[in-house]
Amino acid sequence: MIKVRGLKKSFANTAVLRGINFDVPDGKITTLLGANGAGKTTCLRILTGLMTPEGGTVHFDALEIQKETQQIRRRLGVISDREGLYERLTVAEYLDIFASMQGLGGEAKAEALASVRDSLGLDGLWSRRMKGFSQGERMKVSLARALVHKPHYLVLDEPTRGLDVLAVRLLRKTLNELRDQGCAILFSSHVMQEVEELSDQVLVMSAGRIVASGTPGGLKQQCAAASLEDAFVEFAYGSEARDKRAEESPA
Amino acid sequence: MQRTACLLLLLVSLVAKAAEPVPERCFLDGWSQPLQCYRLQVGESVSGAELAVFVAPALEQNGLDPVFLLAGGPGQAASDLTPILPALSKVNRQRDLVMVDRRGAGHSGAFACEEFQGSVVADLDETVRLLGQCRKGKDNLVGQLNSRTTVEDLEQVRSQLGYERIALWGGSWGTRTALLYQQWYPASISALVLDGVAPIDSKIFLAAEAAQAALDKLASDCAGDPQCAALGNWQAQLLQLIADWESGGPTLKVIAGQPPIAVTSLHLQQTVRTALYAPEAAVMLPFSIAEAARGNYLPLQGLMQAVSGMMDSVSLGLMFSVACAESVPRIREEEIVSNGRNSFIGEAFTRTYTRGCEVWPVPARDYPQLSPQSHPVLFISGAGDPITPPVDLARSFAYLENKQQLVVQAGAHINTTRGCVPELIERFLDAPQETLDASCVAEIDLPPFMLSEFGFALNEVNQVVVSAGGADEQEAEND
Amino acid sequence: MNNENPNFGWRYTLVPVLKKELTEAWRDKRALLTAVCFALLFPAMMTAMMLFTVKEKVQKEPQVAILGGERAPYLANLLRKGKVELTEHKGADDRAGDHEQAKALLQQGNKVVVLVEEGFADAYMNQRAPRLYLYRDGGDSGSGAAVRRVRSQLAQGRQLVTAQRLTAQGVSPGSISPWQVQERDISTPSARSGLILRALPGLLILGLFVGSLATSVDTSAGERERLSLETLLLQPLAGWQLVLAKSVAVASLGWFGASLSIIALACMMPLMPLTELGMQHALTVQGILNVLLLLAPIALLVAVLQILLALRSQSFKDAQTQLSIFQILPVVLLTGIDVAQVELAEAWQLVPLLGQQQWLKAALVGEPLNLALVAAGTLVTLAIAGLAIVAGGHALRREALLSNC
Repeated sequence: MIKVRGLKKSFANTAVLRGINFDVPDGKITTLLGANGAGKTTCLRILTGLMTPEGGTVHFDALEIQKETQQIRRRLGVISDREGLYERLTVAEYLDIFASMQGLGGEAKAEALASVRDSLGLDGLWSRRMKGFSQGERMKVSLARALVHKPHYLVLDEPTRGLDVLAVRLLRKTLNELRDQGCAILFSSHVMQEVEELSDQVLVMSAGRIVASGTPGGLKQQCAAASLEDAFVEFAYGSEARDKRAEESPA
Repeated sequence: MQRTACLLLLLVSLVAKAAEPVPERCFLDGWSQPLQCYRLQVGESVSGAELAVFVAPALEQNGLDPVFLLAGGPGQAASDLTPILPALSKVNRQRDLVMVDRRGAGHSGAFACEEFQGSVVADLDETVRLLGQCRKGKDNLVGQLNSRTTVEDLEQVRSQLGYERIALWGGSWGTRTALLYQQWYPASISALVLDGVAPIDSKIFLAAEAAQAALDKLASDCAGDPQCAALGNWQAQLLQLIADWESGGPTLKVIAGQPPIAVTSLHLQQTVRTALYAPEAAVMLPFSIAEAARGNYLPLQGLMQAVSGMMDSVSLGLMFSVACAESVPRIREEEIVSNGRNSFIGEAFTRTYTRGCEVWPVPARDYPQLSPQSHPVLFISGAGDPITPPVDLARSFAYLENKQQLVVQAGAHINTTRGCVPELIERFLDAPQETLDASCVAEIDLPPFMLSEFGFALNEVNQVVVSAGGADEQEAEND
Repeated sequence: MNNENPNFGWRYTLVPVLKKELTEAWRDKRALLTAVCFALLFPAMMTAMMLFTVKEKVQKEPQVAILGGERAPYLANLLRKGKVELTEHKGADDRAGDHEQAKALLQQGNKVVVLVEEGFADAYMNQRAPRLYLYRDGGDSGSGAAVRRVRSQLAQGRQLVTAQRLTAQGVSPGSISPWQVQERDISTPSARSGLILRALPGLLILGLFVGSLATSVDTSAGERERLSLETLLLQPLAGWQLVLAKSVAVASLGWFGASLSIIALACMMPLMPLTELGMQHALTVQGILNVLLLLAPIALLVAVLQILLALRSQSFKDAQTQLSIFQILPVVLLTGIDVAQVELAEAWQLVPLLGQQQWLKAALVGEPLNLALVAAGTLVTLAIAGLAIVAGGHALRREALLSNC
């Protein structure tokens, strides 16, 4: 369980996060839904310890990210951006290095590598350098890197962006498996369809706040919308007018 | 920290070097480059000495044998050999040139006989008197000055400097030292270059015939030149002057800056003999003598002045100590007479030594039985050398297996610096087993003969100066 | 850092980061090519320069013509024996014709034309100092050397005549030398080649900068721009480990470049006609090893500073520009000190770069090093590098490093 409480952050005197509260329970897939610029990435970066909040806390079960950063990271898998691969390394080298950084060694490492290789179908890519990989191939490698140390928490920033159908299906399959294994999964997105298909719980974020939360179906009901997209528009862009109300009833 | 410690250890091990005698940087006149100078202790404590050693280090340290330069005299210091260093500069790129001032010479305590400095003594009795003075109280020193000690000292210097084997360059009497070194320590020697050869069994101070031969060679060269031939029979005139001046000659300024003195026939004989050492001086003899016969003594006076400084650097004490022990005792009276009979110098030169040795007591020393040697040896001789003329290799050096000779037809005493000789020496040292193509030696010309007050004639076509060095600088060697 | 689990100690995590950084750096063909090219460039230039110098010095014999040599055969013969390629031409019928012909001969490729006028020999015999004309084209590069050879040949003849004329007057030729000048050149042969090697420490240090520039930009600003830095920062590593690993990788390339330079130079040295110039092949295996050792710490420092600077910059391009300027500064400084022959007190050897420059110079010409100073200076360099690495670790926490998406 990841617990986020009262996160505040501003850049150049502009508030980006204005007090964020939410939980990411184990065995569930939680989606952070928001328009570009809503503060999703900042929120995730604070969550993973890359940024320091001006207020608020993030707990990974009993551990606090600002204090026990490295311990948390050893149980945390992150896909921040699929661009961040090393063109001059092969997939095998890349995963080996990151597995080692996570403290894996010897047989444990070999097992972990074999496991991600099989589960993500990396055989054909395994000894190729990563220069010129497609978006789908990159996603697979990134996912493998994020999962190689079998993290309990998984944070993904816009994982489906630019992916083809097959890749999205693989991602969905993998995330579902991880959920079933009890992982706490948080991903951000602005694509309604995948959110609806994947999420157990959706957090709607707008202008630095969580303006609504619930299951995809629940959200549609809350505002009597026909689709999640309608519901999102209602929550996100109708929200400024209802600032007061949102403050009174935190998600 | 571990890293740093490792680095430091490595640095220390790389920079540290083994201890050997540490040279000081110094200079010798005549050579502008710095030398490595040592003062090395040689010999047993009682009979030991501290020798001045000068090394012109090779530019490339590639382990080639160094060349030890052995000076003549005996009485000249190796440190006075700097005038030949420019000629050996190519050799010096690959090889150290080592000059060891032997005991009694140069910077190793020159035994100079100050009595003779700055004057020309052309009177035998006076010479003997001054020698006697110089010899007084020097028994211990005199006893140490001989070829055996010199070779032992050189051998110690060689080993102290860490050279396994060395090549020798000997000039004049230095050739004898080199030949003796070869006999006593053949394993230390790789090759020999001998310029102005004094075979071990030769009687070097019995030099009247050689001097006359050199004069004859000059005369024949002169006769081959129509303008020089026109000077007339200057050889006969020379003999006449010698006879005339027996009882006193003209009053001449024989030393620049000193008052004129009445010259004697001995002055004249010595001047002619000494001038023959250097071709640049020798070519002035015919005209100077012809003029003197006509009563104009100026050219002769000029020559006398020119040759007067040539003996200054010789340590007479050392010279007599060695000569009286090793060479003079072997000269028999009848040899002096027969040797001088047909020579312009007569018995005068040899008598200087036999008479001098009478007041220079020193035990006679014998040379070893010559044993065969196989080191490559290069002999260099000048056809007009008045003291160490070209040798008959087959007769004098039958005991040497591997020998070759360069005879410089236009050369006199010491030819290392002339024409292509330096290159031939370099080639010899690099490949001492190979026979040199010495044809270029024939291209060395005699300087043009002095014909008149204006000097030589511009229509002299066969004879051209070869060496830039002045007569009084380079050839300052007595046998 | 908190290492409650020994498996997660820095010793374990540093190795994979190092491996990643080194593999990446050494697979960057462009960076490698830059380092190699620069490393080989200046030994090649130095060899070429020296060959050129020697060629100038022992040029092939210049063409010289003597006109009217038949009027003074001695002079013609004298020149023939000199180190010139002599052609002989008969003089013209009159004086004007002689001089016309001399000019014409100069046009035909002769570097010098020596003109002996009619009546030269007569005037010589009357001791009236006849004139000898040397025609030359001062604008022709080879004419200076040719004139020097002709003059030196003529000087030999003059010396001989002078000696004979003085002797004829009853004076020793030596008496016209009122004094002797004795030159004493206190330089050593290796110090003389040090003249050539003098620029080497600066160039080696420049080599470090150039060799590591591309890699340092790539591993910092490059990673940032390619968005891979964030992933790296999300690993359970301390910032200093990342900076250290990157610095070692960058330094390895710079050090490789500089090492290649010195080794290439050593290999080319036998091709260099050093002894012709009176110099020594001063580079020994020991000297090279010393140089390589001395370069290692400064390579690390240069790498850290480059990385820090690149991390501060706005973009990849900006980083390249800044580093290009950064690499020139120390070299200008070192060269300035060298050219101005500033005598620095020994304590200055504690300053990074300055110290290395002095030591490298000494190591190259085989002069002894002050080991205490080398050790102290190396420690200073490493300490500064250490501080910079720690500072870099902190800099990595700057949120501005993260991309804006």
